[in-house]
Amino acid sequence: MVRLTILIISIFMIMNQSDALSKEKKKAEKIFPYTTYTETLPNGLKVILIPMPSDGLVSYYSVVRTGSRDEYEPGHTGFAHFFEHMMFRGTKKYPGNVYDKLVISMGADANAYTTDDYTCYHLSITKDNLEKVMELESDRFQNLFYEEQVFKTESGAVYGEYRKGKTSPFFWIWEKLLSSAFTKHTYKHTTIGFEEDIKAMPTMYDYSISFFNRYYRPENVILLIVGDIKPKDVMPMIKKYYGEWKKGYIPSKVETEPKQTAEIVTEVTYPGKSLPILSIAYKGSAYNPADKEVMAAILLGDLAFGENSALYKKLYINEQKVQFLEPQFERNRDPFLWIIWAMVNDEKDLDYVKKEIISTAEFYKNNLVSKTELDNLKKRLKYIYLMNLDTPAKVAGTLAKEIAITTTVESVDIAFATIEKLTPEDIQKAAKKYFNTEQRTIVTLKGSI
Amino acid sequence: MKAKIFLLIFISLFLSLSNLLMANKVEKVLLPVKEDPTISFRIWFKVGSQNDPEGKEGLAYITAKMLTEASTRNNSYEKILEKLYPIASSYSEKVDKEMTVIYGRTHKDNLEEFYKLFTDAILYPAFKEEDFKRIKTNAINYIQNDLRYSNDEELGKAALYGFIFERTPYVHLTAGTIESLNNMTLEDVRGFYERYFNKYNFVIGLGGGYDEKLVARLEKDLSGLGDVRSQTPPKPNVQPIQGYNFLMIEKDADATAISFGFPINILRNDEDFVALWVFNSWFGEHRNQSSHLYQVIREKRGLNYGDYSYIETFLNGGQRNMPEPNNPRRQQIFEVWIRPVQNQHRHFALRAALRELKKVVDNGLTNEDFELTKKFLYSYSLNYAQTTMDKLGYQIDSKFYGVNDEGNYIHYFRKKLNSLKLEDVNRAIKKYIQYDNIKFAIVTKNAEEFKEELINNVPSPITYTSEVGESVLKEDLEIQNFPLKIDRENIKIVKVDEMFQK
Repeated sequence: MVRLTILIISIFMIMNQSDALSKEKKKAEKIFPYTTYTETLPNGLKVILIPMPSDGLVSYYSVVRTGSRDEYEPGHTGFAHFFEHMMFRGTKKYPGNVYDKLVISMGADANAYTTDDYTCYHLSITKDNLEKVMELESDRFQNLFYEEQVFKTESGAVYGEYRKGKTSPFFWIWEKLLSSAFTKHTYKHTTIGFEEDIKAMPTMYDYSISFFNRYYRPENVILLIVGDIKPKDVMPMIKKYYGEWKKGYIPSKVETEPKQTAEIVTEVTYPGKSLPILSIAYKGSAYNPADKEVMAAILLGDLAFGENSALYKKLYINEQKVQFLEPQFERNRDPFLWIIWAMVNDEKDLDYVKKEIISTAEFYKNNLVSKTELDNLKKRLKYIYLMNLDTPAKVAGTLAKEIAITTTVESVDIAFATIEKLTPEDIQKAAKKYFNTEQRTIVTLKGSI
Repeated sequence: MKAKIFLLIFISLFLSLSNLLMANKVEKVLLPVKEDPTISFRIWFKVGSQNDPEGKEGLAYITAKMLTEASTRNNSYEKILEKLYPIASSYSEKVDKEMTVIYGRTHKDNLEEFYKLFTDAILYPAFKEEDFKRIKTNAINYIQNDLRYSNDEELGKAALYGFIFERTPYVHLTAGTIESLNNMTLEDVRGFYERYFNKYNFVIGLGGGYDEKLVARLEKDLSGLGDVRSQTPPKPNVQPIQGYNFLMIEKDADATAISFGFPINILRNDEDFVALWVFNSWFGEHRNQSSHLYQVIREKRGLNYGDYSYIETFLNGGQRNMPEPNNPRRQQIFEVWIRPVQNQHRHFALRAALRELKKVVDNGLTNEDFELTKKFLYSYSLNYAQTTMDKLGYQIDSKFYGVNDEGNYIHYFRKKLNSLKLEDVNRAIKKYIQYDNIKFAIVTKNAEEFKEELINNVPSPITYTSEVGESVLKEDLEIQNFPLKIDRENIKIVKVDEMFQK
């Protein structure tokens, strides 16, 4: 649900910055009170500025369109994430400890995260520190420099992060699901990467330099600044600090996943105690806001398996067979998975829950969702959006993924229009297209204790 | 006739006075934000897990869940979810040791629909057996599977609180124990609700774009709660710690989670609080590279993912970057959280953290550290509460602690910060922080082996896969031999399955 929320918030926001003065746009402006400014520098760096009242706070997001999806070379899984750590190691002008000290003295809430499709560096700062932050951020994106020794030490922290994650059963089933469902595409591995690759990271100093040179280029980065700002003051600053950044992005060679022709059913054992977890995943499509079937599929996930679905009420509230039931219908750059998750209270009910999920998928292939249900979801999405734009961090945080995937504001305008037009027939069509046995992967996790 | 008129006047005067008194009885925390299109509700009930009867641990938690995740007399839970769905609103509960907050947020457009559902949840819970069963099963699963097996960091922290607060009402998990949950009945829940969710025991918290009428309406409606008076138990009488005491949780894990701490007698309303906050921020600001411990253990040595410290309870630290409001307590602890380290580094990491603690207690902060941290916090604190909902939570906490902050805790905090001097911070460190009497909760494998190493003060050298600087290696020699005086009888080892059992 959260993911769906994020999608919709982003859609509404970007839609608002469309230049077309359609009626829909006027309506959206009433909903979305902030004006958006977009400009692309000659070197390809796209800048999106959103002024909003915020008590002097500003959210500063650098979105790099590289994630674990781009780790196509064998033995380098987890590298995008590892590299995210290295970005905090400074430059010759501002070495890591100096960078840290400056960021600390500004009282910035600075952090970063890596996903399959992108890496995001974000700071929450006060407006009087904007120029200094811009100087620091533009400097590390252009002139990152670290010694091999520092690089090796950081790999220890990454291994620590891996160990922390590994205690969760979801980590195990996630890893198994991806490696089972994909054969060629890099979505085969998780963002944190395979353990043997993480162990080998300290030996990859030279590779890390080439990684930076390939991907950390202006054409591959979008700068998003939200909060107490004036675009007319901020744009010249951006040109000053980012204008000299050299082009040079080299796209990764990600293989296309061949069409899955038979169902995959597998299991994973979690070395610990856990209730059984079930994931049922259907091959999906790349996020395409103009594609009715894609948008319908995203809504379908919530209608069929979300917290207001008949199945949720049956399995969670009435029969109490599951701890939770949740759809995860993601937006991704390349075709990913539409996944349904369930944690089952009693192992003997695993098959029953599995059958219920599959027959629900079948149901939506053969039946129309009611118009009221669909309208309720559309209304819900509107209010989710309206209620989630109260701080710069929330606005930027929810927008980051959308801009990382689509890059263009126009495309999202189309996405919003697509959702508005969806009918019960479109939802059924999406069910028919995606809920196929041959493109299904089922993974079950059981604890060892 | 005259007498009758007097009597009537007297009665009407009495009635209006009593009305006035009645009206004054409802305490409120109001945070109007005109431009906010949403309305935030936080209804604080002065009850928490400290009120759980013996053998019924978790009752406050389950009772609150029976309000927020269950049917009311007017709607089944299914129906409630159905009605909340299109308005994208929800309500939930937060139960801590001393406070229960029923909170929710909605858009102004949907106030009527939301208000009805929200107040129904508080006023007319249905207490259905099937809801009770579901909520109880979830709580048991949380303890049995999640806490014991899927999250060693939270396990270590929960164990530390239990260890420090032995024999006090703070001792148990908010969710209870396996045995108490199994023994709990719906009658217990009903009784607890009637006793503590009464008309004298709540504070109204409202924030955002509401109008005055809503305050009066809420006040009137909630005054329909039971006419019973309940009492708050006395502040927990926490036992002083003698020396270093260990609780080791034996678990087949390839990483060790370490938490340690001791009670401190300082709260948010205390004169020294902001000074001690500055110390803590420097020593271990939560999930921030400004943390000194983080610099020593993670940044220089890459031993783990992060290392932090606290002078107030910080819940859900693994998920949250900023502190969650509404878990105020009359007794706080100083707490250090070392995120999982490889088992072969556990002794070293523990020594490193304690050595840093000793250094700062003995020497205090330098002026440079102090100025930097002060500057950091002045801006960073703005991030603590950004939304109306969070700000409202902070103001409720201010009321709990009796902080006279003129309606904005963060501004008050920043103001106090501005007038702070290095001497204030170093004096506060000396007064409240020490390194001789500490309790440790450690989730690890081969605990017996670690026990012997600790008792015998075995040196704990570590090796690096990469080259590290001279200064680090030199410091390592001191850390690996840093003496810890630990008595055999002060180390207790338990199996993970025994944790939170009863």
